[in-house]
Amino acid sequence: MTTASTHCLLEMYEERHELEDYQGGVPRWCSGCGDNAILTAVQRLCRDEQLKPEKTVFVSGIGCSSRFPHYMKTYGFHGIHGRALPVAEGVRLARPDLHVFVNTGDGDCCSIGAAHWIHAVRYNMNMTVFLHDNQIYGLTKMQASPTSPKGLKSNTTPRGAYLDALQPLTVTLGIQNVSFVAQAVDWIPELLYDTVKAAFHHRGFSFVRIVQRCPEWLPKLFEPVLHDPLRVQLLHHEDGLQPSPGLRAVYKNQLLHDPSNLDRAREIASVADPIPVGILYRNPEVPCYEDLRRTEHIRTPELIRAGLEAEFDRFTVWPQEAAG
Amino acid sequence: MDASRRAHVAFHLTGRRTGATSLDAVEGSGLRPALFARYRDLNDLRYDFPLVLDAGGGTLAESWSGACDRVLKDIARGEDGDRVSRHVLRLEREVRTAVASGAKGPLSALWARAAARLSSEDEPLVADSLNQAKTALGIDGEVADCDADLPRHLLTHAWSLTQARKAAAFRADLDRLVRGLTDILRADVAHSAEGCRADHLRAAVGGVDGDEIDFDALARVLTTAAPAATLAPARRRRIEGLIAALQSQDFYPAYAFTFNRPTAALAAYRGRLPKMAALAKAVAVAELEAQHSYREDRHDALFEHAGPDTLDPRDLGAFPDYFVSANARDLDPAEQAALLEMLSSGLPVKVLLQWDDLLDESPVGDGHLGLDPRCRQLATMAMSAGDAYVVQAPSSLLYQMRERLLGGMAYQGPALFSVFSGAGGQTDGLSPYLCAAAALESRAFPAFAYDPSAGSDWASRFSLDGNPQLDRDWPVQPFVYEDERHQRASESVAFTLADFVACDRRGARHFARVPRADWNGGFVSMDAAVLAGPGVAAGAVPALLMVDSALALQRVIVDERLLREVRRCREQWRSLQELGGVHNSHAERLVARERDRTGPPREAPAQHAPAVVIPEGQSAPAEVTDGPAPGQPYIETPRCSTCNECTNLNPNMFAYNENRQAYIKNPDAGTFAQMVEAAESCQLSIIHPGAPRNPNEPGLEELIARAQPFQ
Repeated sequence: MTTASTHCLLEMYEERHELEDYQGGVPRWCSGCGDNAILTAVQRLCRDEQLKPEKTVFVSGIGCSSRFPHYMKTYGFHGIHGRALPVAEGVRLARPDLHVFVNTGDGDCCSIGAAHWIHAVRYNMNMTVFLHDNQIYGLTKMQASPTSPKGLKSNTTPRGAYLDALQPLTVTLGIQNVSFVAQAVDWIPELLYDTVKAAFHHRGFSFVRIVQRCPEWLPKLFEPVLHDPLRVQLLHHEDGLQPSPGLRAVYKNQLLHDPSNLDRAREIASVADPIPVGILYRNPEVPCYEDLRRTEHIRTPELIRAGLEAEFDRFTVWPQEAAG
Repeated sequence: MDASRRAHVAFHLTGRRTGATSLDAVEGSGLRPALFARYRDLNDLRYDFPLVLDAGGGTLAESWSGACDRVLKDIARGEDGDRVSRHVLRLEREVRTAVASGAKGPLSALWARAAARLSSEDEPLVADSLNQAKTALGIDGEVADCDADLPRHLLTHAWSLTQARKAAAFRADLDRLVRGLTDILRADVAHSAEGCRADHLRAAVGGVDGDEIDFDALARVLTTAAPAATLAPARRRRIEGLIAALQSQDFYPAYAFTFNRPTAALAAYRGRLPKMAALAKAVAVAELEAQHSYREDRHDALFEHAGPDTLDPRDLGAFPDYFVSANARDLDPAEQAALLEMLSSGLPVKVLLQWDDLLDESPVGDGHLGLDPRCRQLATMAMSAGDAYVVQAPSSLLYQMRERLLGGMAYQGPALFSVFSGAGGQTDGLSPYLCAAAALESRAFPAFAYDPSAGSDWASRFSLDGNPQLDRDWPVQPFVYEDERHQRASESVAFTLADFVACDRRGARHFARVPRADWNGGFVSMDAAVLAGPGVAAGAVPALLMVDSALALQRVIVDERLLREVRRCREQWRSLQELGGVHNSHAERLVARERDRTGPPREAPAQHAPAVVIPEGQSAPAEVTDGPAPGQPYIETPRCSTCNECTNLNPNMFAYNENRQAYIKNPDAGTFAQMVEAAESCQLSIIHPGAPRNPNEPGLEELIARAQPFQ
């Protein structure tokens, strides 16, 4: 509750944030790294949505992508390997007033953090998650990750990776309570931005896999795709993304896909070539865990103490009972 | 025309029975409209009433028969199903009968009494059936029948539920603010020299690990390292003042907010206004302080002048609403003026205006009975205020309108609930429920709702839902009876204002019963007489179908003065219909005009080109765009993925736009060699070098060849 004059005042003194206001430092990523494109798309989103920096938090794990919070002039939490999601869930529960973003890499999310990833999808807490998937451990200089393509030679797989790559989209779409899954590629900025925006506006666990180039360790991996627009498939729908005519003129491989169709989303997600980009699945009806657990009681120290006392009292042996 | 027919016409025109006729007075004859023939004993009927006012607050109320149906749906299964159903339905009737005879109290008490009576009868397993039902019931609260107290009971309950929610939200808000402000003060203490003292630090850590830490050393470190900034004295005073103001507020729950007279509510509102403004200001400042957003240079001057005149409905919305429960008979001009003032000035007031009697002697003194004009005027004036929520309904419809009632209570602004109770006591043995229902059916008291929050136009805001057969002048019901030859006969009967007046003993002078022997072909129904207008065919007399206490059919003729009232009632209903979009004359004229213009509708082919849907895998049409001038270098900026390659190469030549996508800032700020190198290093190949700017640049020939793939 505020008075009318306060409303006016707040509007009067509302400061407009420009893109520079979200830039936290000069990125140390390599030139040509797809992380730069993601950073730009996210900074544009923050500016266009006028997110208050002090009400926005980016949480990350470990890896190239997880340096992301350093380059945002917002709150950030550079966590430990694979644990970006539980940290973000804690932030979400404790501070429901914040916009929570998570930046995680293919190693961070799909390998060491896989268990957290699965349960975070199931919890469906309101946060926007970007999986920066460059299909390699880049920070530690080229080891195979779970999403590395079969046959990829790396420092840990000198004879080539033995296994088929894990597909993060199909995994996510197979988990109960999944509510938003999208895919983008770092080299189509318009589509990346639209996807990031749609993910932000979805209330629930918005999972965006961003296929990303690593110019340092896998410079040739996406070259054929970059030079052949037909190897990217635009998913469009009135309830999904609606790419501009200019984009549709370049990327002529297009597919009408209704994001409410989970079965079809799973089929599309399982195709690696062409790369489907757009919203695969969206279900705004899935309840958020924090809403299910919301309580009327504010967790004051007194309330916690009273709850603990009540719990301890259950195990108290009263002198008269003990004597009896 | 025979003598009896002449006498009928004479009565119709003059309202007087001449001495020579055999017309009977209807006074005291126990006649009632024919359509009420089946509704002698309401206790035998399963209908919405009585209501159980939900004490738990999950819903506003549940109809007693609906609750029993719900319970039976859950438990009456299997081989015991019939037995359980029978017992529960008997209990239902028992409770309904008790309530109709004046029993009051919560459902649990009425249930217990009825169950005890049934269990004492010689019927096995009654207790078992009722125990099962009680377990499944899940609702308790006061039981309210459709009587003179129902509107006040139900609306007070709705108001209490809404206020309890508001109070909880308000208190939570205040608690949050007080906690936030207190934390600011606490944090200041923690940062102060006193807070960094060893004993404070020890107390802060608590007993656990207390021996492991050298608090003196910690105190020394903190004293030298902690930031010295403390709260400015002015801010500290302001925060302490805010905490005191928020903790000492009088609005929840100290003040009373229920009144019987609009003037009393208005006086209370005015008296409390300064305190309300002060509290709203304190909350606003506290909100800013808690967010550390209060800036003295910006806010001091503005809040200094904040007072009652800066309050708006958003501020008022958090405070309790004033509830006025008034009876229309007590509404003198001063009260009426106060009521309209409150409704038209956006005050947070919820008014129940109860009408027990809708009929009134005509003010012009011609001795006939008509609808009380104030009833229509007050609701219309409230709607014309623009931001008042208005609900009008007879009490028989209140249960069905419960969402509207809750909507009005939750609405952020004034609300008027105009309710006809049907309990005026002027009907001979007709229950208030039937009387209220008759008012609705006859359009004497139509139901409507006006919700300003539903949209910006009348189509969104105004609704006539709840009225029977909306598109007709009057609802028409089939009426089946046995004629003189004991044959089944039926006709359609409209229920008009005349039927409603016929239920009232004061209206008897407008009616005369025609003995069966004098029945003739000169009778017309009321709706036909109204439709025919003032020139009713010569010799035709409007007549009602009524039944006496022995359920024998009677014809009762109506005088011209009542017929005029019926016509006026229809006009009023039609203007409501227009507001509700039913037979709206403007819309109908527009439709007619368009039809004239376009001719009859045709089976035309689609007027618009079908939307282009690009099937899987097919290409979309390319958009034709203007390209750059020949020879000019350019970047396909929208495709730039911000990889920093070109900007690192020459930041004067390449730069980022407001979206951090690259463009050529100055093609002359570098060499053609750099331009070509940038084009080669761009992974997306979106840099097009154009022609060299400087013809004297060394190695141009080779550079032009390298640039060729990117042009």
